[in-house]
Amino acid sequence: MNAIEIKNLTKNFGEKQALGGLNMTVPVGSIYGFIGENGSGKSTTEKIICGLMHANGGEIKLFDRPLSDPDVRAKVGVLIESPGCFPNISVWNNLMLQAANLSIENPEQEVAKVLKMVRMEGSASNKYKNCSLGMKQRIGIAMALLGNPVLLVLDEPINGLDADGMRIMREVLVDITKTYSCTVLVSSHILGELEKIATHYGIIRGGKMIKEMTAAELEANCPTYVALKAKDMEKTKKLLERKFDRVVEENEYIRVYDAEKPEQIVKYLFDNKITVSEIKTDKINLEEYYINLMDNKEVK
Amino acid sequence: MNKEIKFESPTFFKRIKGMLGVDFYRLFHTPMFYIFLAVAAIIPAMILGMTNMETAEGVTKLYTNTWQIVAANEPLYVVNSIAEYANMNMVFIFGGIMVSIFIGHDYKSGYVKQLFTTHAKKQDYMISKSLVGAFSMACMCITYLIGGVLAGALTQASFAVNAGSLIIALLSKIVLSLGWASLYTFLNVIFRKFFGISIASSFFFGTGILIIGAAAIVGNSSILNIFLYGSSVYACLSSNILTLVVCVIVSVVWAIIYNVLGTLLLTKSDVY
Repeated sequence: MNAIEIKNLTKNFGEKQALGGLNMTVPVGSIYGFIGENGSGKSTTEKIICGLMHANGGEIKLFDRPLSDPDVRAKVGVLIESPGCFPNISVWNNLMLQAANLSIENPEQEVAKVLKMVRMEGSASNKYKNCSLGMKQRIGIAMALLGNPVLLVLDEPINGLDADGMRIMREVLVDITKTYSCTVLVSSHILGELEKIATHYGIIRGGKMIKEMTAAELEANCPTYVALKAKDMEKTKKLLERKFDRVVEENEYIRVYDAEKPEQIVKYLFDNKITVSEIKTDKINLEEYYINLMDNKEVK
Repeated sequence: MNKEIKFESPTFFKRIKGMLGVDFYRLFHTPMFYIFLAVAAIIPAMILGMTNMETAEGVTKLYTNTWQIVAANEPLYVVNSIAEYANMNMVFIFGGIMVSIFIGHDYKSGYVKQLFTTHAKKQDYMISKSLVGAFSMACMCITYLIGGVLAGALTQASFAVNAGSLIIALLSKIVLSLGWASLYTFLNVIFRKFFGISIASSFFFGTGILIIGAAAIVGNSSILNIFLYGSSVYACLSSNILTLVVCVIVSVVWAIIYNVLGTLLLTKSDVY
């Protein structure tokens, strides 16, 4: 059983096609990183999953049940863009109101639990309007957690957060999956952060899914390389190209992808009277993988 | 893990109870509600006070009786003087603006977005807003009455009235709050993305200008009682038990119609 299963989803805004037959599979228990450029259809997909928008075509199932099933909808927590809170009332009361809307029994206990989960127990009496952006996003997650959801849909929850805010949010998201055994669909442009927590990825472009993979598959698709700097970069590159198949100059470094060990390259260059000023082993990360994918693959 | 997941959503009564709790909490914590209550009290006091003061020789006072600020003597749909128009029906104009602000804030704050991502149904939203709007208008009717009575006492206007008819007229107007609140909720759902138009449309319908215009064509016909404004005029100082029955039926039927239409509109269209 998958938490989310989408087949051939389409959505048009007038003449403009936002989603053109999107397929997506989010396994139960995963943290699914949903990646794509601005306007690629991420938010539209999430809004359809959450019931805020209607699709023009296609099928969505949540836990093998149709999207319209109110029983399954009661188990979905959502944070789309920013939480819908009332600015002049306290964090506690905003959460209590949401608890009332969800008909939660023992609301005080539940609210205290989710506030603790998002590390906001000390700020419950603050008025919502006086909270920082990072706090507001965590309040949004706390709201989404009310009612013990089995699926969380989070749209750009870490955008605009400072380094500390991102770290807290990351810890919170990991905690949620452990404590609530919850599946999380999270979209973000901050791929470095996403890479630290996601177990699965979906890359969307032009309203279509162009790649879905697990974190292990991403790992396998991201080769390690040796990056180096030398005095005469051009000569060094030409020399390396004679011995190695894949040598590219990127970000002021020469990257050698098929070298087994850095020592092998250093020895080869030393033998050819070239002094290496800097050398390191690195790995393609999600961001680079994504950029390469976007550059090379056109949506047909 | 998935075998342990229990999918269950609350019953209609649990849902509506929760939503009403939220809406009433918000209503009582909205300064605008108290401002409108005060306005509803001040307006009749001002009108009665100003028009019942010493008048120039030969000028007839607009109101001969305090209770005329609550309801007209007769159900006159064609407006001949401001005194026949300016009565408790004005509460339904303020009420429209109040409902517009209340619902407008739902959309501005993102509350609606938060709400409709849960199991909450569109019909729950319509019902809850209509009931809270009706309650706020009923409260305004009461403060309007208090304002009118105080002004009548201060200006020493007559209080002579058929008590039964007055009570029926008051009850009828309070009952009609439900129909009016449902109309305004529906209008605000239609124009949910255009706050200014929401307020303008509520004001337009609240003034009863369409019924006044229709009355200019068909005359003082009782057929106009099938509309909310018509019934509101029908609830006058010569009301009898039939008036209350008509007002209850009209209010409930229109409330159902507007709630169904609003639910359909919300269900068929994107929330955001």
